[in-house]
Order: sequence, then C-alpha cells, then structure tokens
Amino acid sequence: MKNIFLLLLLLPLTLFAHMNIAVSYPYIGAITKSIGGEHINTVVLAKGNWDPHFVVPRPSFISKVRNADALIMNGGQLEIGWLPPLINRAGNPKTNVGANTFLNLSHYIKLIDKPSNVDRSGGDVHPDGNPHFHLDPNNILVLAKTIEKFLISIDREHANVYQTNYENFSASWQEKMKGWQEKMASKKGMKVIQFHNNLAYFNKAYGLENIGTIEPLPGIPPSSRHIIKTIELIKDQKPCCILHDVYHSTKTAEFISDKTGIKIILMPHDIGALETVEDLTSLFDYLTGAVQ
Amino acid sequence: MKKILLSSTLCATIAFGGANVLPVEKRTFTQSKFIPDISLVMDASLVSRSVEDAEVAHLEVPGVAHGLLGSHSHGGNTHTPYNAKNGFNINYAELVLSSSVDPFFNMEGVFHFSEDSVEIEELYFTSTALGYGARVKGGKFNSNFGYLNEQHHHAWDFADMPLVYEAFLGMHGINEVGAQIQWAAPTDTYLMIGAEILQGENTQMFGKDKIGTYTSQAGAPALFVGYIKTSFDIDDTTILGGLSYAQGTSRIDHSDDEEPHVFSGDSKLYGADLVIKSYLDSYSFIKWQSEVLYRDMDGTQFNLNPADTTAVLASPTVTKKQAGLYTQLVYGINKSWHTGVRYDTIFQNDVTSNGKSVDKGNNFNKYSAMVEYHTSEFARFRLQYNRNSSLYNEDGNRQDIDTLIFQVNISIGAHGAHSF
Repeated sequence: MKNIFLLLLLLPLTLFAHMNIAVSYPYIGAITKSIGGEHINTVVLAKGNWDPHFVVPRPSFISKVRNADALIMNGGQLEIGWLPPLINRAGNPKTNVGANTFLNLSHYIKLIDKPSNVDRSGGDVHPDGNPHFHLDPNNILVLAKTIEKFLISIDREHANVYQTNYENFSASWQEKMKGWQEKMASKKGMKVIQFHNNLAYFNKAYGLENIGTIEPLPGIPPSSRHIIKTIELIKDQKPCCILHDVYHSTKTAEFISDKTGIKIILMPHDIGALETVEDLTSLFDYLTGAVQ
Repeated sequence: MKKILLSSTLCATIAFGGANVLPVEKRTFTQSKFIPDISLVMDASLVSRSVEDAEVAHLEVPGVAHGLLGSHSHGGNTHTPYNAKNGFNINYAELVLSSSVDPFFNMEGVFHFSEDSVEIEELYFTSTALGYGARVKGGKFNSNFGYLNEQHHHAWDFADMPLVYEAFLGMHGINEVGAQIQWAAPTDTYLMIGAEILQGENTQMFGKDKIGTYTSQAGAPALFVGYIKTSFDIDDTTILGGLSYAQGTSRIDHSDDEEPHVFSGDSKLYGADLVIKSYLDSYSFIKWQSEVLYRDMDGTQFNLNPADTTAVLASPTVTKKQAGLYTQLVYGINKSWHTGVRYDTIFQNDVTSNGKSVDKGNNFNKYSAMVEYHTSEFARFRLQYNRNSSLYNEDGNRQDIDTLIFQVNISIGAHGAHSF
C-alpha cells in the first residue's frame, strides 16, 4: 500500500523529468528530437500528409498544447488558420506568443518571395514571404542551431548535451548535404511546374527554375482558363516535370500531363507525407531522388 | 504679406528640417503596430418563400414559440431575424476587433450592424496567464452551452438556426453579459469543464425583469450554465461530445401578442451534443452533427385582456416539458463545394395548465438541404432549401412553408481561425 502511494507521488515527477515540447509540424519534431535527445518529448500536432495550411484544429490538440512545457511553430503565417484558437483555449502561459518557452522559427530565416503588395486579390498570399523554408537543407542547419539555443535557454542544466547533439547533427547533416548536392548538380537550371509553390526553397537550393503553378494564384483552385495557359506554357518552355504536393488532387496535373506528355512527380513536403518518408534524411533522399 | 512671409518661413523650416533630422519612423510616435486585428463579415440573401411576409409573423409553434420567421417585437425591441423578407435581405455586417491587451489578457469585440441598428454581439476579455488549463472570460459573449451556441452565424453549415434552438432560445441563442470559467483537464484525452454566471436576458426562455404589476423582479444574475466536453480522435476521425445544463429564472413578455400573456417562473435547459467529423483528405470531409435539447419550465402564466393588457384574465400555473433535436450531415466534397442535409424536430411538448394537460401537439418538423460554393476561404455562396412543417396559424391549422435561400457570406480583413 505504501509503495503504491509512493509511486503515485513520484508519477508526476517522472513526467516532469522530460520536457514536453509541442511542435506544429513533423519536421520540427524531428529536428527538436535530434537536439533534445532523451531530455525531451516531442508532441507533433499536424500530420505530415495534410496540407500544412489547412490543419483541422481538433480539440485533442488543445490537450496537447495545454500539457506542453514549450511550443515551437513554423510561423510565417502558415499556422494562422488553426493554431491561434488552440493556444487560446489551452490556458497554458508557456505556449503563449511572447513567452520565453514559445519559439517562432520563421523569425530566424530570411523568407523569400515576400510580396510587395499584400492584397487578397492576389490569392491567399503570405504577407511575410514563402513559409515553406524547411525544404532548403541549408535552412535545416539554421533551424537546428535555433532550436539548440532555444532548448539551452529553457533548460540550462542540459546545455552541454544539446550542444553536443547539435554538433553531431550538424556534422552528419553537412555530410548528407554533400551527397544531395552531387545528386542535384546536373539539375541546375532545370525548369519545373508545381501545383503550389511550396518547393520554392528546395528549387532555390538546387537551382531549379519554377516557371508556373497549376493553381492560378496561391490558394485558388485551378480554373480552365489557367489550365489552358499552363498547357501552352509547358509546350513552349518544355519544363521537365510537374512537381506535385501530396495533398492536392493530381487530377488537373494528370489532365495537363495527358495533353503535353509531361511527367508528374509526387514531392513530399514533410515527414509522413509519403509512407517511405520517415525522417528528415529520407525526406531529402526522396526529394533529390525523385527529380532524377 | 505677413501670411506669405509666415508660410514661406514654415516651408523653409519643413524643407530644411526634413534634411537633417531623424528618419521619419523614428520621429513619430507611430502606433500602427498596435492596431488590433480587424475583420468585417457581410451576410446577405435572396429569399423566396411560399408564404407572404405578413402572414409568417402570425404563425407559431404551439406552446413553444411565436413568430419564428418574421420580424416581431418584444417589449419595444424589434428583432429582425435573418432572411426574414421575401426578396433581398442584408442580414448583417459583423465587425470584429481583437488584440492582446497586455501579458495577461486578450480582448475581442464583435459588433453586429443591421440596416438600422447596431448591437454589441460580443465584447469580452479572456485571461491568458492563469495557467493550469484555466481560462476566465468576462463581458458579453455567446455561451459555450451545447455545440452550435458559441459559434457565430457565419460559421454555421446552414443559413438558419436549427428549429429547436430558435424555438427555445431565440435567434441569438444564449448570448449574455456575465462571466465564464473553463478548465481543460491535464489529461491526454481532451476534457473540458466550464461554468458561466450570466445576467439572464434571453427573451424566449430566461429573464429577470418585472413585467407589468403581476410579476416580481428576480435577483440578478439570473442564469447559470455548466457543461462538460470531451473529444478524441480515431485515425482521421474526430469525435466531440458534450453535456450542458442551464438554469435560471424566466420572465417572458408576450403582452404585445395577439393572445397577450406573460410567463413568470423558473426554467431548466438540458443539452447533449455529438459531432463526428471524418477527414478523407486535407479538404474533403464528412461531418455529422447532432444536438438534443430538453427544457423544463415551471411558473405562472398571466393571460391578459387583449383590449387592456393591464388586466389579468386568468393566472394558471403552467409547466412545460419540451424536447427537440436537430441532426445534420455535411459532406465537404473538396475545398470549393460542400453539401448537406438537416432534419429538425420538436418531439415532446407536454404542457400543463393548473395541473391539467393541454394538448398543443408534438409533431413539429423541418427539413433542409444545402449546397455551397467557396471561391476562397473568404467568400461563400450557399443555396438552401427548407421545408418547415412546424408552424401553425391562429386557427390551429398547420401551414407548411417552403423556402429557398441564396446566401452570400463574404469576409475581409484579418484571417479568422475557427475552432473545431
């Protein structure tokens, strides 16, 4: 009996031994776990095969945010449609915007394609620039460094562990980047079409040139007029392929492919987007392999 | 001459001053970063109804509610329900302002503009720093009773309110001044408990004000609400269920009706809700949403003389045990197209007067179907068909109403984020 009592008393303590870190997307969870190692638990909210712009704010997420010791999000308004009400409902000062246990990764990356004119007649624009920055492997290193500093700032006790983990992660990542660079070297200048420009950073990293998107404007479904224009563009410019995300229907792309013979390549945007993409390394292995 | 001199001096100062002082952004006390999030939602409709507008106001769900569809007045306030007129309707413009106040609070204001009036629909602050999963809200707000009550009209899947909600609580639901506390339990499964103390000014069911000389003033606050909600996921399916309870005094003024009467007593409202939403992919879903409401009202009804409403003809003891439900199924085909059906019913209507049961009927139904097209997240066009078989005329004959509503809902400004 006494033992049970003791166990019950100790149970919360064992829970506190690990910091619970809620993160919005799987890739953030992977980096955080690499740096935090055994001292943290990561709780990933969105699934990797969902459209990151349209995550359903399930009530179960409120519990996850409520019980978190820290929150790391992508930012750049990617979570604007779903994360604010969860934070609001969770009643957890640790996950409030502005708390020292709250991290917005987009503040540490220079976003590209920042629109000079923010107006919804241009579609669902991201006023701060393109927020899909993690698809440039160079940025993964910046994010890992950011998360290392963040973890140290909230858990100084294990600073040397986080430092070592970062150094190991950084070294092995740089090694892998060399491999991807070699694989992609011959692809420089290759023209591609996308559904939504979510590979902007990947393209920039490897010198691919995006010449058009199947959606006429960000977030606006394809129209027949725009499809015809895209077909003409493909016939004229002869891009290699349509790089397609996993969450939009490929129906329109298939139609365009039928008319032009262009190849469609499914490009996962995050861990779990396709079954074989299980971690950060396999994500970039897949992406760099897919365009071969 | 003096003027010319003065203005040229001024010009020179400005021109010169501009050259070697601080850059503009450092010279002013710029406040623009502190502007709250602003959004404006419009809701308009084109309505075709099988019954004339004037006639609708005289219809009722016997023993439950009067004038459900048309404009009607209560003690000097005229309420115009949405989509009330045949032809074009501007239902409202909703202006929302929200921002954090300081490290401890957020504030939100929702202002409801109709063509000739403005209402504060919501105006409240919420705590952000309490911790332990607790949140306190104060001001005027939609109660979190049930599932639909807290949501704004433009977040609903149909253009009109479910029959049982509108009949029991009126077109605004439980929208009151008061205080709320909610607590999310530290469990893996979502579990939330909430309690509210509210003023009690609902004209259909709750109230505290003295009416005429025959009722008494009830103490304020007069309405108490409590609920418990839980939710869990099974793969890509989310299940959300809740139980709610509201209790308060009732002072209901129908002294301007054709059969003028006033009710004074106590009321209890019980609710159970269940939402099951299954995601087929990022944009396609099936959502099944149902709520059951049961109310128990106990008090005195003062039947007034239509010629002189200060004279009480009779004052029987009246009890009402009434229940209804709605259940709706919405299929999100893709990002642009959604379609759905809804069934509404009030299936229990046990009314007694001086202990004797009064047969008011208990078979009130409404059937709705809708299809909507979204050009983006910010614009929605919806075509809805209703067959309302719940309304009766003065002679006690049922008057079925067919309604076709083309609803337009557009929003601009800050990106709204809807909770589940």
